[in-house]
Amino acid sequence: MSSSEVEPDTLDLVCQLDNVQGMVDALSLVRWKRHQDSVLELSEHGIVVIVEESGCLQAKVYLKKELFVSYEYRAEGRPRFGVSLGVFVDCLNTFSVSGRSSSIEMCYPGPDMQLLLKSVDSTDACIYAEIRTRIPDTISWDYNFEPAGSTPLSFTVKSAALKEAIDDLEWPGSSIQIVLQPDPPSVQFRGEGHGDLQIDFMYYANTDLLIAFQCDRLVSYRYKYKFLRATTSNMPGSVIKDNRGSKLTIGRGGMLKVQHLVSVGRPTAQHPHIDSAAYQLPSRIAYIEFFVKPEVDEEPVNDA
Amino acid sequence: MGRICHLFLTKDHAFFLHNLLNGDGVQSIAQFRKESLFEDYRISSQNDDRIAFTIDLGLLHRALRSSVSVCGHVTTATNRLQGYKSAVIQDVPISKPLSRVDVVELQSAIDMAQDLPQTLVQGPDLHQLQSFVDRLKHVGELLHITITQYGDLHLQLLNTLTTLGVEFRKLPVVGVQAHVPTGDQNMTAQSRTKYAMEKGEALSVQLSLKHFAKSLQCHLTKPDSAFYGITPLASCLTVIFQFFIPGTRQTDKSISLHCRLPVLDPGSA
Repeated sequence: MSSSEVEPDTLDLVCQLDNVQGMVDALSLVRWKRHQDSVLELSEHGIVVIVEESGCLQAKVYLKKELFVSYEYRAEGRPRFGVSLGVFVDCLNTFSVSGRSSSIEMCYPGPDMQLLLKSVDSTDACIYAEIRTRIPDTISWDYNFEPAGSTPLSFTVKSAALKEAIDDLEWPGSSIQIVLQPDPPSVQFRGEGHGDLQIDFMYYANTDLLIAFQCDRLVSYRYKYKFLRATTSNMPGSVIKDNRGSKLTIGRGGMLKVQHLVSVGRPTAQHPHIDSAAYQLPSRIAYIEFFVKPEVDEEPVNDA
Repeated sequence: MGRICHLFLTKDHAFFLHNLLNGDGVQSIAQFRKESLFEDYRISSQNDDRIAFTIDLGLLHRALRSSVSVCGHVTTATNRLQGYKSAVIQDVPISKPLSRVDVVELQSAIDMAQDLPQTLVQGPDLHQLQSFVDRLKHVGELLHITITQYGDLHLQLLNTLTTLGVEFRKLPVVGVQAHVPTGDQNMTAQSRTKYAMEKGEALSVQLSLKHFAKSLQCHLTKPDSAFYGITPLASCLTVIFQFFIPGTRQTDKSISLHCRLPVLDPGSA
């Protein structure tokens, strides 16, 4: 039970956050399994949390320093360490008391290289956590996402609609084909397995669902359903409530990038009449990116 | 706490007792003075006027609830029917009365359960504590609880990957008290606890988080406050619920409810 009293000067990072629930939401989005390892990378710009599976799926949560009430970074280089994502989220969750915003302080490293969390709301009740860290594994492959050509191949769809579509594709299962075509501008999700299911988003017909669309040629790639599902399976309620959009981009070689936005602002319960998506400052948004490798057993169609 | 309990009736009291005879698990003792439950109460048995049996609380609760609604109904019906009354009788099955030996054992278990911790601290808001404990359930199963003589209640959960805890300070203390050491305001919860243990001003136990969560369910009885203490030799954690006489700040002495949580390890005290 050694104390975690450490000299502030020896710490790489001391930061304070006033909306724990937002951080729980952002990290939960990349928690597609109960037990999952993650790597935290600290820098003067903020914290990046990286999660990976089977060399085919990687997710990154960008917690920019603007999300924190204070962010004091003193390290040389960019410290990286591994923590269990499940433990990190469960610990953060104990700080989040429903109905009121709770402020916490996060420090690294503790005396035994732990990640230290403590509540700073009240002097008479203090919640604290010390999370064991480990030396991170090397990332097995570099998710060098490069554009597929001069025109980006991308579309932005309402997050709720994307999640619903991917949930529905569970029925055919295993492998999902994503087709983008410029004429008529549309996106197709096609599943073949136990049965066939095709979901079309037509750009001009559903501008409220398919918000943006950029594509100058037909492209088609297949992705494993379980990886595609991981990109939306733990979408927090706030993303749906805030009516956010998710951006999907297909890069060189068919690498799929899925980007979500999660609000980490102070709860806006006192302004129920204001559209919270519009009310949030852009700086109080956590960016989440998934990278999904395509299945390779099939010849891609028309990828110039 | 569980469906089946012992109902133990004596000349002056009725007790509802959980887990007092079979030992393991959370023990709970609810004691009512006869006047607080019954208008008319007579008891006689060859065993010093004491009777005990087991009863299914679910069935008893259902019978009581329906009699409450029937009573309400009867009152209005009586008014209308000018003096006619109806009686509804519900039988709640009970076990055979406990043997003389078992009754003696039950009585001595009650007597043993009456020994109070030397220091009790008045717990924080029960709902707040429960919401915290519900979240802790995801993280681990073993809970360390430390209570200091200057009103700290420290809950800590340790496992291989994390240490997670909450410390409540400056809680009201009943019983043996010590002065808050000066200059420790800025110390961490762990250091304060360690320091207090070294000075003999705190007791610490390790127990099952599930048991602790179960004892918090007692807030369903709407107590006015709860007190936590560790018995001498750190043999168990005692939680005492306090009820006020409605509309006052005076303790209702005709009702008492307390739980005893078994210790999993004698603790580092």
